[in-house]
Order: sequence, then structure tokens, then C-alpha cells
Amino acid sequence: MLPQPQLIGIGTEAIYSFIIIVCSFMIYFATKELYDLTSHKGIKYFRFAFLFFALSYIARLILEFLVMFFDAQRVFDLTPIFGLTLITAYIYLSTMSLFFLLQSVLWKHWHKRNLYLLHVIAIFVALLTILFNNPLILFLINVFLFLILIFIIIMAYRQSLKKGLDLYLIYILLFIFWILNIINLLIPRFLEIFQLLIYFASAGIFFIILYKVLKKVGSN
Amino acid sequence: MPKRSKLEIIQNILNIIKDNNNSIKPTPLLRKTNLSSVRFKEYYTYLINKQFIFEIEDKQGNKRVSLTDKGYNFLSRYKSIVEFINEFEL
Repeated sequence: MLPQPQLIGIGTEAIYSFIIIVCSFMIYFATKELYDLTSHKGIKYFRFAFLFFALSYIARLILEFLVMFFDAQRVFDLTPIFGLTLITAYIYLSTMSLFFLLQSVLWKHWHKRNLYLLHVIAIFVALLTILFNNPLILFLINVFLFLILIFIIIMAYRQSLKKGLDLYLIYILLFIFWILNIINLLIPRFLEIFQLLIYFASAGIFFIILYKVLKKVGSN
Repeated sequence: MPKRSKLEIIQNILNIIKDNNNSIKPTPLLRKTNLSSVRFKEYYTYLINKQFIFEIEDKQGNKRVSLTDKGYNFLSRYKSIVEFINEFEL
């Protein structure tokens, strides 16, 4: 049987992941009718972003559970079948979810082939996980990716006609919590003191987006 | 006149049909939409394929166009759709 602190950890992790998964699936399904009616590309990418968020958090939840269950210090200590496969899936799915979010805002300015390029980058980053099998290198790659994402979203904000700062601020916070979640997963206990804070803030961001979606979708 | 978005054009076409007692011939519809015949045909085919409109023949054998339930649904949801797209800058 697991010691008490680990049981609490699994419980917190499960609740947190469950909230994100439910929020993401709710956003995905709540916008289905809008997409069916319009076939709008922006809505399609927006929905994909949250579908990928949900799937990545499912992979993450399983990973965290395995780390705690086998009392591993880090995900890389797990067996290759479970550990590396799941972390590769998690990195690919979570990276793609952010790319889809970017694509939803920028699709009018980007060529279609950019989307294939984003898939290639996400697969490449995920494969590097297997090749290096090293959390520090993976962490640096993700930080680099994070800086690029922040740069792109700031540029998108500057080009935006509406200048809706709140949306871009939400997306930037989403990126920040994405990188913190990755650090938290790669190096367990590194952000232990802030873990609950990160969980609350991440869940808060998803709640805000869900609220904004439901307010608009359910307004009729 | 600023260029209309795809959704605006669709809404415009569906509204014209609705405002004509949900029955209009394709030629007057083309005229009222202010689209070129090529673009009109593209949208017309798109709306038929999306099952927003359907064609029927009246007693004189003339082709007429009417809205489906899905077409009405699009019109009633149009405001929400536009608001949603604007909210998330999609």
C-alpha cells in the first residue's frame, strides 16, 4: 500500500487532471454545433486544441500515477513501454494543443503547410524525448519552444485588429502553466511548494476559457 | 463596400430566402445577393450540400429554393457564431 502523502498526491493529481480533462472536453463538445454549422477553420483548430489538451492530460494523469505507484524519482525511471511511450505521447499531444491554439488565431495569415510543419515539430520534440532520455535536455527544448510561442502570441497581439488583451493574456498564462506543468512532470518535487498553486491557477485558466465559451455558445 | 466574409454571405443568402416567404427562384436570389454568377454557384452548391437549403418545383414546374431546419438554425445561431469568433479572434 502507498504511504499517506503519496495517496494524497495521487488524489490531488487525479482531481486536477479530471478538472482539466472535463473542461477541455466540454469546450470541445460545446463548440461542435458551431463548427457543424459553419465549417469555420478557426473554430476547427480551437476545438482541436482542447481535444488535444484533454488527451494530453489523460496521458499525464497516467504518467503521474505510474511515477507515484512505482515510487520512481522521475518519469524516465519508468519502464520504456510505459514511461517513454506515455511521455512521448504527452509531449506530442500537449505541444500540438498549443500549436492548434496558435493556429486558431493565426490561420488566416498562415499557409496550410505550416500546420504540417507544426505536426513535424511536435513529433520531433516528442522523439527527442526518446533519443535523449534526459529531463534536462527535454526541459531546455520545451523552454525554447515556450519562448517561441510567447514571441508568436505577442506578435499576433500586436497585429490583432481587435486588441483584445484579455484573450492573449489568457493564452500567455496558458503557455506559462503548460511549461510549469512540464517541469513538474519531468522533475517531480522540483516545484513541490508551488504545485498546488500551479494546479489552482491552471484549472482557473481552463475555467475562464470554458466560461467564455459557454457564455457565447449558450447565449442563444 | 468592405469585402464580406463567407459567413456574412451565407447569412445574407439565407435571409433573402427567408424574407421571401421561404420560397424564391434561383435567378432573383442571384440578383439580390450581389454576387457574381460564379461565386453564387459556389455558395449555392455549398448550401445545398450542407443541407441549409433545398430545391423544390412549384405547380408551374419552376425551380424554387427554401430553407431547411438547419438553415433556420444557422440564422438563429448567427449572432452567437459571430460573437464566438470575435471573442476568440478565430
